[in-house]
Amino acid sequence: MSLGFLVLDSGEVFSGQWLGGEPKAGEVVFNTSHSGYEEIATDPSYYSQIMVMTAPQQGNYGVDDGVWESKDIWIQGLLCLEMQNSTRDKSWVERLTQKGVPVVEGMDTRSLVLCLREKGTPWGAVVKASTKKEAQDQASVLIQAQKKMDSDWVHAVTCKEPYELKGDRPSGAKVAVLDFGLKKNILRELKKRSSQIKVFPSRTSAKEILSWDPHGVMLTNGPGNPVEVLEATETVRELLGHRFIFGICMGHQILSQSLGASTYKLKFGHRGSNQPVKDHNLDLIYMTSQNHGYAVDKKSLPENVTVSHTHLNDQTVSGIMCLEKKCMSVQFHPESHPGPRDAEGLFDYFIKQIQ
Amino acid sequence: MPQRENIKKVLILGSGPIQIGQACEFDYSGTQACKALMSEGLEVILVNSNPATIMTDVDIATKVYIEPLKKNFLEKILEKEKPDALIPTLGGQTALNLGIELEESGVLERLGVKMLGATSEVIQRAEDRDKFRKILDDLGAKYPKSEIVKSFEQGLGVVDDIGFPIILRPNYTLGGGGGGIAYSTEEYKVKLAQALHASPTSEVLVEESILGWKEYELEVMRDRAGTFVVVCSIENLDPCGVHTGDSITVAPQQTLTDHEYQEMRMEAKAIIEKVGIETGGANVQFAVCPKTGDRIVIEMNPRVSRSSALASKATGFPIAKIAALLAIGYHLDEIQNDITKSTPACFEPALDYVVTKIPRFAFKKFHGAKDILSIQMKSVGEVMGIGRTFKESFMKALLSLEMSPQGIAEVIYDESKVSIPNSERIFHLFQAFRENKTIDEIFEITAITPWFLEQIQEISKFESDLKASELSPELIIKAKRLGFSDCRIEVLKNLPAQSVSAYRSENKIFPSYLQVDTCSGEFASQTPYFYSTYWSSCAPRHIEKPQVVVLGSGPNRIGQGIEFDYSCVRSVKEFQSFGKHVIMVNSNPETVSTDYDTANELYFEPLTSEHVLEVFRHVNPEGFVSQLGGQTPILLASSLVNAGYKMLGSTIESMDLAEDRGQFIELCKKLKFKIPKAAMAYDYEMAKEACNVVDFPLLCRPSYVLGGQCMEIIEDETDLKSYFERNGNMMSKTQPCLMDQFLDRALEVDVDLVRGDDWVVVGGIVEHIEAAGVHSGDSMGVLPPQRLKPEVAELIQKMSCELAQEMDVIGFLNLQLAIKNDEIFMIEANPRSSRSVPFIAKAGGVPLVNLGVQAMLGKKSSEVHPEKYDWRKLDTICVKGVVFPFKKFAEADSILGPEMKSTGESMGRGKTYAEAILKALISSHVNLPEKGEVFLSLREKDKLELLNVAQDLVDLGFSLSATGGTAKFLIDQGFEVLAVKKVSQGRPHCVDRIRSGKVNMVINTTSGREAVEASFTIRRSCVDYSIPCFTESDAAIQVIEALKKNSLKPIFEVSPLGLN
Repeated sequence: MSLGFLVLDSGEVFSGQWLGGEPKAGEVVFNTSHSGYEEIATDPSYYSQIMVMTAPQQGNYGVDDGVWESKDIWIQGLLCLEMQNSTRDKSWVERLTQKGVPVVEGMDTRSLVLCLREKGTPWGAVVKASTKKEAQDQASVLIQAQKKMDSDWVHAVTCKEPYELKGDRPSGAKVAVLDFGLKKNILRELKKRSSQIKVFPSRTSAKEILSWDPHGVMLTNGPGNPVEVLEATETVRELLGHRFIFGICMGHQILSQSLGASTYKLKFGHRGSNQPVKDHNLDLIYMTSQNHGYAVDKKSLPENVTVSHTHLNDQTVSGIMCLEKKCMSVQFHPESHPGPRDAEGLFDYFIKQIQ
Repeated sequence: MPQRENIKKVLILGSGPIQIGQACEFDYSGTQACKALMSEGLEVILVNSNPATIMTDVDIATKVYIEPLKKNFLEKILEKEKPDALIPTLGGQTALNLGIELEESGVLERLGVKMLGATSEVIQRAEDRDKFRKILDDLGAKYPKSEIVKSFEQGLGVVDDIGFPIILRPNYTLGGGGGGIAYSTEEYKVKLAQALHASPTSEVLVEESILGWKEYELEVMRDRAGTFVVVCSIENLDPCGVHTGDSITVAPQQTLTDHEYQEMRMEAKAIIEKVGIETGGANVQFAVCPKTGDRIVIEMNPRVSRSSALASKATGFPIAKIAALLAIGYHLDEIQNDITKSTPACFEPALDYVVTKIPRFAFKKFHGAKDILSIQMKSVGEVMGIGRTFKESFMKALLSLEMSPQGIAEVIYDESKVSIPNSERIFHLFQAFRENKTIDEIFEITAITPWFLEQIQEISKFESDLKASELSPELIIKAKRLGFSDCRIEVLKNLPAQSVSAYRSENKIFPSYLQVDTCSGEFASQTPYFYSTYWSSCAPRHIEKPQVVVLGSGPNRIGQGIEFDYSCVRSVKEFQSFGKHVIMVNSNPETVSTDYDTANELYFEPLTSEHVLEVFRHVNPEGFVSQLGGQTPILLASSLVNAGYKMLGSTIESMDLAEDRGQFIELCKKLKFKIPKAAMAYDYEMAKEACNVVDFPLLCRPSYVLGGQCMEIIEDETDLKSYFERNGNMMSKTQPCLMDQFLDRALEVDVDLVRGDDWVVVGGIVEHIEAAGVHSGDSMGVLPPQRLKPEVAELIQKMSCELAQEMDVIGFLNLQLAIKNDEIFMIEANPRSSRSVPFIAKAGGVPLVNLGVQAMLGKKSSEVHPEKYDWRKLDTICVKGVVFPFKKFAEADSILGPEMKSTGESMGRGKTYAEAILKALISSHVNLPEKGEVFLSLREKDKLELLNVAQDLVDLGFSLSATGGTAKFLIDQGFEVLAVKKVSQGRPHCVDRIRSGKVNMVINTTSGREAVEASFTIRRSCVDYSIPCFTESDAAIQVIEALKKNSLKPIFEVSPLGLN
């Protein structure tokens, strides 16, 4: 069996067994969700990121393409302690490696996570090599190349052309979706509650969206640094006040920017299915699914914007609301997949606002 | 201030004596809750009848009442203490049922006591099947097709609708008591009658079988604000059909997709809300059909449960502590996560390891009991293994069982041991794969989820790789990551003992110790709770203080249970008070000792010499303690000492004087102590020969066994022959059968003492209520002694001290002595803290464990002041009661003998002996009748002695019935007696009479193998119908005497444990 390595930009090297795929570079992040490996790997928000799963055993329940959150696997590598490898069912590792995603098992993920916790979110590369030195040489080339790509990651994952979907409720609302790298479950949740949905690429103008005359606008999740997503921030600013807007994750960060707030990079982000959030409107605490590396700076929020949700582990902003400008957004994922569905009522609230 | 303003004083109910289905996990939860509420500044009143618990130690609560957990006693305590509130959700089903009773009878309202955690209405919505099913219907949740049956006739009518196999579940019983699976009409009829009887409300849920479905359990918490978290998901390796307490279980769940898991989570949340659990912990059990994915709800418990303890240990989330804080008004987000110390408790733990729980059984103790697992729980203890993968954790758990140092030693394959669930199934599963059975074949006969079978197969396959490969560091690392013990590797590779550990040392292959941190490393954590793994590396550790390791007692088993946990936990505090950094090593998830804040550090590891030595290598202690955890650490002691570590207290040589029978006999001879005549034999011929020296009756037992396993009283040559036929396989030249003179009708006593360098303190003398021949763990006992002459007691005390001196004991010594015709015989010595230590400490008021620690630390008389401690200055009499699990073992005999069978003990305290003994019986769930019929069947030698008893019974207003000889004897003595047929004399016979409910109490003494067998059905029917049955004359005499005293003037008072 060949050796596989994770080489971090900061110098650390971790090794394990190479199970296949092609060497790749990306930001190295960890996720503490126990289940939902397919949903995670197919979430476009993980674009250009190498995923370390803290749950030690992956692939246990095989695959089900029906739960994919997009058409593709986006992660740049999967690192875990042990990957299911039985004659009966090794389909998850096969899916990943067929798509060229490098998979390494037998990695000391515990030490790696403690390292990531200290370093933040370093760049790194997953490579197949026979020695550490060889791995380091390969990795530095890959990392340099990966760093050079366009800084607007959202643009890389958004749909190329707008498309429409029929909702399940003929008398329901029309919802425009600005796609920053959407998870399909956002569409599934909207579909249940609306009559028509139209998905627009991230760089669509406000004018074009308004010309479809939607009742409300949904801003989706997506990868990367929100500061780099210039066009969308502008589009949203123009939409403010015209239609009710609901943002999720990247959508939350873009909305905040368009309201005049600023964002900053968290040390190592929030990625997991057990993140406690307090909903100040309902005076309720729920467990949420989260996946973000940036957050909205509370101090930068304009006066007319209130913090509607707070992350209870570190008191960061988990949601905002501005009645005056008819908008709200949350940093977490009410559409779950993976993770608890405690917050799915937010979709109902949104629909109620636009009907 | 989030805490409820009006609550200043809280009463917490414990769960009583340890029994199957309700064991020391409730000591853990209760102790944790008491600690949490005390530190909130509340006054905490604790009531529990179990003296072996940590929670009944005087300093755990403001006041501790060791009193029966019965309504009338609680009423007295509530009147006296006037607490603001009562928490019934931490003491298992016993406390919950008692809470309901107190609420429904209006006692709580009358006294203005609030019930916290759950109201009777909520409890009923969860536990009353009709009400619960209504809730499930409203939520659209599914449950198996079933009918509530309230009578036998109605039960017969529902069979066709449901179809076989049928599951029977009596309402309101613990551990599924009285339940079962029926495959035919005949079997159904028998089980239905029993189940109706077992339910306090005579209601049985008769249910469609879901045999073979995957089984899950979610441990959840909710606070008053509606915050809901799943603390832990648990998946059973054994599919539905085996009680979850008897199943091998894994946390977190391993084979559900996120979608399936989240659906289950949402359903659990909806159920909890609808049932109305306002605050606290609860669990919901689900079954999932492996073919269709259909999910049904099996049941929910609206309280902290056995699995809550497991979930707490598996995740580091202290469910009971948090439940207690929620009960007094806190919200989850107002409580800090103890482990991280930086995040709130309103979160769901994320694990980067896997936990496996394996139950431990005691079928060998119950001759005749069938080793088959079903929906009624039968295990007596459990172990937990933590590893980075399922395989590593599973193999560590198997080693923790302490059955074999190989963990998965080979067995002779028996397919029926795979297809029918039983206590050895797991070993046969490994064997099946060694013999190249396929996953499909095994799945076909077990319905075990293939994922688990693959894990087992992978381990088995590696065994052949291991055999075929050259020894290399890579190979050993792989084996260790799969959880193989050095011993198993040695056996597989045909290497001498210790060679693998030497090889590992040469190649620096050592385990790392990772932290259980609730968050998969997301946050830095402070809590020193560790497990070993060969998968990862860890940072080096620096401890300045001197370190002492306390070795725990491993899984509960009959003969080694919670009593030893008491000693371990108590010792930790004492060592700490002398500035030591104390490290606890144990494998039992139910205990207080494995709470992460008991010791300075907790290593959750198997108690094998390999794993303990690795911990020692990692921490490098200045000394270790093996006197406190029962026989488990005693057996480890010499290998640890040989490895160069210092054992505190008595030396190996000193311990051997007690453990080695030959040396012990020599010692007694030297001190001129009488001992029963003894001989040794390793086959029948030799034994027959030996009878010339020892003479009948004699007591036979194999060497090196615990709790008197296979110990029998042999009355004649036929018995002797039969004994060797049955147990000969346990005898060898190195492990001969020990044959002792049996001191018939002698009085037995237990003595526990502590000896230091220049001092000795005797903790007390417990006088057995039953005569010699009943195992000390099974006999009731009283302190101070009631029948022992004071001068004999003095002599016993003197002899005990002399023996301790001669053995050079430093620390604990437990002695058993027998007294016949004022002659004292030394029976047995145990060089360690014993089962009786907590009872003696609480009854006699001498802090034995603290003194034991001081002795081990070399404290002198001038520092200890031994003269302060005198157990004889007592104004309270304490009786130890015992609890047996016979109800769970349908074919087992309840007769008492030299082999221990009890699972737990109770304590009755009183101003008089009568009060104490009756309280002990009540606490042991003996339903003493006030009137009705007493059936007597007495052996020849007891008849005269029990005449007074017969008279007392008549005076008390009881009528008498008896068989043949006993009836004739009593009639001859002028008694009015109803003569009843023996079973062999045709029907209706005495057993019919008992089973038809006409008999209220039975006194049945018997001896000789045949007579014992003949009277088996008498005792069995008493067990089945919960009728008190005394099988030993001394106990009968003393109990009836007490009943008589009580009838003259009600004698029950309640009082808290005092500080002596």
